[in-house]
Amino acid sequence: MMKVSNLIKTQLKSEAREVIVPHERRMFIPIAKEHLRKAMKKLIGLEGFTHLSTITGVDIGSQVELIYHIVYEDVLVSIKVRVSKENPILPTIVDLIPGAVLYEREIHDLFGVRFKGNPDLSPLILPDTWPDGVFPLRKEWTPERISEKLEDNNENH
Amino acid sequence: MKTIKIPFGPQHPALEEPINFIFEVEEERVVNVKLRLGYIHRGIEKLAENRTYHQNVYLVERICGICSFAHTTCYTQAVEELLGIDIPERAKFIRTITAEMERVQNHYLWLGFTAKEAGFETLFMYTWRDRETILEVLETISGKRVNYGMNTIGGIRRDISDTMTEQIEDKLNHLENRSKYYKKICTKEQTILKRTVGVGILKPHDALSLCAVGPTLRASNIPRDVRADEPYAAYGEIPFKVITYKRHDVASRILVRIDETLESINIIRYALKNMPKGPIRVKVPQRVPKGEAVSRVEAPRGEDIYYLKSDGSDKPVRLKVRAPTLANLPSLCKMLIDVNIADIPVVIAGIDPCIACAERIMLVDTKTKKRWIWSGDELRRYACEWYRK
Repeated sequence: MMKVSNLIKTQLKSEAREVIVPHERRMFIPIAKEHLRKAMKKLIGLEGFTHLSTITGVDIGSQVELIYHIVYEDVLVSIKVRVSKENPILPTIVDLIPGAVLYEREIHDLFGVRFKGNPDLSPLILPDTWPDGVFPLRKEWTPERISEKLEDNNENH
Repeated sequence: MKTIKIPFGPQHPALEEPINFIFEVEEERVVNVKLRLGYIHRGIEKLAENRTYHQNVYLVERICGICSFAHTTCYTQAVEELLGIDIPERAKFIRTITAEMERVQNHYLWLGFTAKEAGFETLFMYTWRDRETILEVLETISGKRVNYGMNTIGGIRRDISDTMTEQIEDKLNHLENRSKYYKKICTKEQTILKRTVGVGILKPHDALSLCAVGPTLRASNIPRDVRADEPYAAYGEIPFKVITYKRHDVASRILVRIDETLESINIIRYALKNMPKGPIRVKVPQRVPKGEAVSRVEAPRGEDIYYLKSDGSDKPVRLKVRAPTLANLPSLCKMLIDVNIADIPVVIAGIDPCIACAERIMLVDTKTKKRWIWSGDELRRYACEWYRK
């Protein structure tokens, strides 16, 4: 059971800031965003890798944390990277995992994170008339504030 | 050769997931697909941050009308992990039973729907009539035909009595016979074979790299199933097979799902027989300790994954939901390349997205700028006529 997780620990020794194992089927590994692609390449090359389950965005104050949920046969690894809200740019992983294409577009819509190298970051979920700079899942955009902004936007059009 | 763009969708009044495809076609052949979502995005993840953990059980139940139980199971598992509680054994079995009943009703609904897209309306009428049987069973145990309200944090809200078990048994026998009959039809009847064999191919390596899930993945011969890979509820204690088929086409997707209904019926029988006695829920606190959890379940359409983060209060800081249809859309775009316009509906139906029949279709000739509009029905008629030629 612990075989893949030990392998992952050894493989990510230089990138992992720490390795949190809440129980035998889960791992949380925070890494620096510069190491994202290098870590991903290592992780998808390991035996037992099945798929990228999704990418979660979490607002953690001045930064957005992205969590890449990667599934192995017996463990789910969550790789965490952080980007600042002012300059939210990350390299894409679509060339490494083609199945990430919609997850990156979704995060781009809802958190405003730009993925360098992703060929298509056009709106996936938000409407064409959505005002610029409103990222609905960021905490500063409360439901009330979003409604106000949308009303202003409608009046101006 | 000139390329024509066909926008497909987004509105449909009957199904819950409107979507917009733009097909670029050369004569009858699809050469490129682009898609656009969000026509019914309800901001549920944002809403969840403003509701308590208990209120969210009812919120996530309403994400999908068909696989509502999968969503509540996935959510309650995540909360229970953070609370550090183990639910009673009997509750685990009832969760398994309800989840499998939900799978049977979903697959019957889907089979009828796919048959209709392929122009085989008799099969649609049959499966939807038989689906009533499993809905009656669900009504027997939960009191409701959809959105069962069975799950709660810490267990299950309603028990299954011995009288209910007896009533269920007869109905399961009936459903088993029907599933066997459908399998015979779908392996022998030309009406269905001509429209599905070799159509909408998804090779195993594409299915893996595009991160497909559920029956879509298993029809490409990859034996992945959360119930087997990461047994939750009582799946670790019940023997069952992971169904795969080798042809990678719509026909395989049909057979995977029919076989899964037979497997589900066996799981329900086994679980009803071996269900331990005892309590069905434990009392849980309102506040959830600080922490984060990732929960996965095998919904009828594939893997559901939830990420939950708590700051120690009675409301989550973040609840991320990824349902199987989103995971299967990149694979769907791959399957649609090189198919005929007439095959579009049945290939879209193949991944079980609930969006296959779009309200309006606009065809745009890029050279002459000529436009014409088709309804979803007209496309289906066009497809059936095209095959009659």
